Amino acid sequence: MTSTIVERTSVPDALLQPTEPGRRDLLVLNDVTKRFPNGREALRDVDLVIPEGDFVFLVGPSGAGKSTLMKLIIRDELATSGEVYLDGENLARLPRRRVPHVRRKIGTVFQDFKLLPTKTVRENVAFALEVTGTPRGRIGPAVERALRHVGLSQQAEQFPRQLSGGEQQRTAIARALVHDPRLVIADEPTGNLDPLISWEIIQLLLRINELGVTVLMATHDADIVTALRKRVVALEEGRVIRDELGGGYHRRG
Amino acid sequence: MIGFLAFSVSRAWQGFWRNVAMSLAATATMTLMLLLLAGFFIVQNGLLAALSFVEQKVEVEADLRDTATAVEIADLEGRIEALPEVREVTYISKEEALRRFQEARAAQGEEDLTRYLDSNPLHASLQVKLRDPTDFGTVMDLLRADPAVERVKNITDLVDRVVTVTDFLRTAGLAILAVIGAIVLFIIINTIRLAVVGRAEEIEVMRLVGASDAFIRWPFVFEGALVGLLGAVITLATIAAMAEPLGAFMFDFFRVLPIRVGAIARDVSLLVLGSGLGLGIAGAWISVRTYLIR
Repeated sequence: MTSTIVERTSVPDALLQPTEPGRRDLLVLNDVTKRFPNGREALRDVDLVIPEGDFVFLVGPSGAGKSTLMKLIIRDELATSGEVYLDGENLARLPRRRVPHVRRKIGTVFQDFKLLPTKTVRENVAFALEVTGTPRGRIGPAVERALRHVGLSQQAEQFPRQLSGGEQQRTAIARALVHDPRLVIADEPTGNLDPLISWEIIQLLLRINELGVTVLMATHDADIVTALRKRVVALEEGRVIRDELGGGYHRRG
Repeated sequence: MIGFLAFSVSRAWQGFWRNVAMSLAATATMTLMLLLLAGFFIVQNGLLAALSFVEQKVEVEADLRDTATAVEIADLEGRIEALPEVREVTYISKEEALRRFQEARAAQGEEDLTRYLDSNPLHASLQVKLRDPTDFGTVMDLLRADPAVERVKNITDLVDRVVTVTDFLRTAGLAILAVIGAIVLFIIINTIRLAVVGRAEEIEVMRLVGASDAFIRWPFVFEGALVGLLGAVITLATIAAMAEPLGAFMFDFFRVLPIRVGAIARDVSLLVLGSGLGLGIAGAWISVRTYLIR
């Protein structure tokens, strides 16, 4: 298996030069720095281009800036300097009322699932459509499809506490998918799961990726990253220290 | 729009019943606070009524000459009555004055001395009640200048003393009402904030899946309104239930006061409903705002 090291400095104006002809760049970070009010720099001069359809691992020790990067992508935070483009839109220039619409292009999956305990699996997934004003008639079929996709049609009427960790995470993934997102960002989705279940979740994310959805997954799981040989972006102290195709969890050599 | 409203109201209803302990705690706090507010409002009203009752006792009294004719007196009475600051003019005839004097003596258990008199020494008089007891200047000047008037009682000192006391009590009552209002405001807003914070998880999920601000805010605002309305209704029901026995108990007190029960019932209902709804909505609005897009 070949691997190419992409020199960070060789990324010119990311917007003007698509990575490959015929493929659009879904996510572009251009010289992004995030400094918090307390002076801490969570991200420093980050350049990152993710073409539509990619599967990217984001690795690095705790506090390296992975979560901050994710927050910038869903525009929970704004970059201090530099630009973040999602599907061609500059998030810093986005009017407030457009923010929810951009978020609907993204599906989010977290380590702690973030399921609502008082709702069943079906209600948790439907919730994402109800609160975004989807007409009632469209909600039912979309929820069925998402549940079938993650293999939870049988458990639709159960509550999260009745499910295993893996099933809970699959519910969360169904909820992330129910909008037909362009991008799925997963922040340590296997962090609370044992290795076997972790593999199940990864297989699910890979299948989603094969359907054309771009996936950005932050993880500590070296085995998974090394085994899959996907694109790996490594962060350390807020900087991108490595961005290679087909990379392992650790730097080679 | 209809769909959005239906969504918000049904979510508010669900939210209320799915966290029923929290919702009832908020409603109970709301009820207690509104009772406190309404109770003090009623006391304040009683106080104000008592104060104007005292102030109404202050009147300008002018003794009329025995030579004044009925026409002169009627003319003077008409001119005084036409003044904007005058509430009421009463004519007391010589005979009426004598009767009142005799009654007052009798009430004090004193001997009736008037029977030793062969003529009535008392004067007929005009008693002028004012809208505002401090507004006696024009009335007194007009009375003094009139030839039918023999003497006008000087009430300047009395008015000064009465007004000093009533003004102080009015200001104190208003200050206490304001303080209680502020306490009620903070406690209610805080209670609703707690209920909203308890649902932070739900709000976070809504934000993540791309719910617009309106979809996040309005269900909570309707829920706040529901808590406010429920609290207000319970409060009014409690007050209505207590009004009868309490009213009977206080009857003698209220009877002497120029108090209009109908007007107070309306004011209290408006105050309780308005504060309940307003504080419920404001509390929810303020609490949710923290979670919306920055």
